[in-house]
Amino acid sequence: MCARCLELTRRSLLVGGGVAAAALHTGIADARIRPQDMVPLVGPGFKPTDVDEQGLWHDMARVEEEIADSNLLIQDPKITSYLRDLIGTVGGPAAKDFRIYLMRIPDFNAVMFPTGFAVVFSGLLLRMRNEAQLAGVIAHESGHFLRRHEIRSWRDQRRKTDLFSIGAMLAGLGGAGAGVYLGDYVQLAQLGTILSLFKYSREMEAEADAMGVKLIAQAGYDPMEMSTVWQQLIGEEQASAVYRGKHRHHGSLFDTHPSDDARMADLKADALELKVPGKLYNDYRDRYLATIGPIRPMLLDDQVKLNDPGASEYLIETLAQDGWNGLLRFYEGEVWRLRNRLAFNDEARAAQSYAAAVVYPDAPADAWRWHGIFLLKQGRTAEAKAALSKYLTMKPDAPDAPWVRQTIG
Amino acid sequence: MKGLTAAMLLIGASALSACSSLGGEGYGISDYAAVNVHRVTVGNGNMSVVPPRPWNRHRAILFEDIPAVEDWTLNGELLDGITYITGLKSGHFMVRQRHSADQQVPKFRADMTPPEIAAMLESLYRVRGGAVDFHTLSIQPRPFLGANGFQFDYEHLDNDELWRKGRVVGAVIGDQLYLIMFDAARSHYYDAALPDFEAIVASARLRA
Repeated sequence: MCARCLELTRRSLLVGGGVAAAALHTGIADARIRPQDMVPLVGPGFKPTDVDEQGLWHDMARVEEEIADSNLLIQDPKITSYLRDLIGTVGGPAAKDFRIYLMRIPDFNAVMFPTGFAVVFSGLLLRMRNEAQLAGVIAHESGHFLRRHEIRSWRDQRRKTDLFSIGAMLAGLGGAGAGVYLGDYVQLAQLGTILSLFKYSREMEAEADAMGVKLIAQAGYDPMEMSTVWQQLIGEEQASAVYRGKHRHHGSLFDTHPSDDARMADLKADALELKVPGKLYNDYRDRYLATIGPIRPMLLDDQVKLNDPGASEYLIETLAQDGWNGLLRFYEGEVWRLRNRLAFNDEARAAQSYAAAVVYPDAPADAWRWHGIFLLKQGRTAEAKAALSKYLTMKPDAPDAPWVRQTIG
Repeated sequence: MKGLTAAMLLIGASALSACSSLGGEGYGISDYAAVNVHRVTVGNGNMSVVPPRPWNRHRAILFEDIPAVEDWTLNGELLDGITYITGLKSGHFMVRQRHSADQQVPKFRADMTPPEIAAMLESLYRVRGGAVDFHTLSIQPRPFLGANGFQFDYEHLDNDELWRKGRVVGAVIGDQLYLIMFDAARSHYYDAALPDFEAIVASARLRA
C-alpha cells in the first residue's frame, strides 16, 4: 500500500513478518513440529525478570497506550468484547492476560506484541468466513507469545544491530526521515518498523502453527480450519498477483519461512492428529456473522475501493461460498466499475451485478444508487429514475441527494 | 498529487529521494516556487487562476508528474494543498502508477458522471494517500468554467491518524477533466484556506 507500511501488508502474515532477513539458520529441522510437543513457556500472570526484557516491556507499555488511544481503533463494544472472549478461549495459560485491539486497516493481518497484547486488522475480519477461522489466526498469534518468540527474535535482532531500545531506533529513524521525531510510536510507519524487529524464523512460524492448531482443538473448534485460512490467504495473494501479471513470492532457499505448500501440509497433518473422529464440529458462523455483520459493508468498502480487482474478486467469491446476497453482488459490481477495463466490458458487467444485487432483499441503498446511475448511462431514463428514487427513499439524507434530485428532475 | 504522496512518504524511512534529491537542505534549489497575486496558468497551461495571496507551487518532477496536474500549498503538503487538473484526457490516469501495482487509482473516462469521478478521487485517497476512512459529505451541481460542473465535499482519516477535509469543484469539458481540489487538515487549516480556494475557483478561466 505504501512505503510507510511495508511490513503491514497481508504478506507479512503469510510469510511471517517480511523476508528481508536472509539469515541462513542452520540446524533447523525440516521435520514437522508436532502439536503435542508445543508446551506453553509462560504461565498465567507472566512478568519478565531479565533486565533487557523488562526494558522492552517498558517501551511496549507506551506503544500499547498509544494504540489504545489511536484514531484508527474500532471501538464497537460488541465486536471488541467478542474478540476479548475469543482470545480468552484460545489463549492457553495467558488467556486472562491478553489484551486485543481492532484497528481499521484494510489488510489481512494480526500481530502479537511481546507484552501480550494483540492487534487485529479490520481486513482480517472481512476475510474470515466463520468464528473457527478467526479463532485459528488468534490462536496462532497467541502461540507466538506462549512460546516467547517476540523476546527471542528481539534478542536476535539486537545481536545483529546495535539498537538498544525501540525509542532510540525510532529517534534515529525520525531524525533521518522526517527531520523531526514527533514521539509517536504507533503512527503506521513506526508500527511497521517495530514489527520488523519481531521477524519470526521459519521454526517459530512452524511452532506458532502447531501451538495454534492445538489451542483451537482444545477449545473445541475443528483444527482443520487453520489450513483452510492459509488456503484462502494463498489463493487471494495468487489471484492478485496473477491479475497484475506477476508471480507470487515463493519460498526459496534464502527465505527464512516455510514454503506455503509445506506449511499447508504440516497444518493438515497437525489437524488430522487432533481431530476427534466422528465429532461434528460447529464453526459458529452464525455467531460470527451476527457480531461482525453490522460492519461487514464497511469492511467490504475498505477493501474494494483499493481497486485491487484480483484480490477483491477472489475475496467476494470466497465469502459467496456461503451464499450470494445483495451486499456481495453489489460489491462485485463495485469491483468491475472501479477496474473499468474496456477490453473486459467492465461497465456492462458492473451494470449486471448491480441489477442482480437489487433483486435481493438485503441490497444496500448504494446498490440502488449505482444501478440507477448505470441505467442512466445506458439511456434507460425511466428505469433509472425509479431506481434513484428508491435510493433516495432508502437514504433520504444521502450526501449526493442534491445531485440525484437534479439528475432525475 | 504530490501532496498525497508526500504526506504518505515524508514520515517513512525510505523513498525520500524524490524530495531530498532536489534540495530542500539549503543548497539553493527548492522544490517550491512562489506564486504571486496575479493571473497564472496552471497544469499544462489550459487553465489560469488568480490566487488572493501568495501560494507555493510544487515544481514538476520530470517522468514523475502528469503534465495536466499541478500542486500548490500554503503551509506545506501535510497541512494543506490545492491540486489543479487541467484537461485530463479520457482513458488516462490522474497519477503515474506502475502496471504491476496491486492497488490502482481508476482511469478517468469522459462519460463519467459526478459520482463516478467522486469515487475515482476516493480511490486516489485510499490507494495513494493511505486513507483508511473516507466520508462523502456532499455531491451537488455547481457551474465551473462556464460548464455544468459539480462540487464534491469529503473528509478522510489517513494512516498518519490525522483527519483531513477536502472540496473539489470540477467539470468534464470537451471530453477532458478539469478539477480544482482543495485538501487540508480538518482542524484549522481547512477553514483557514477555504476562502482562498473559493476565490481561486471563481477566478478560473480556460485558455481562450
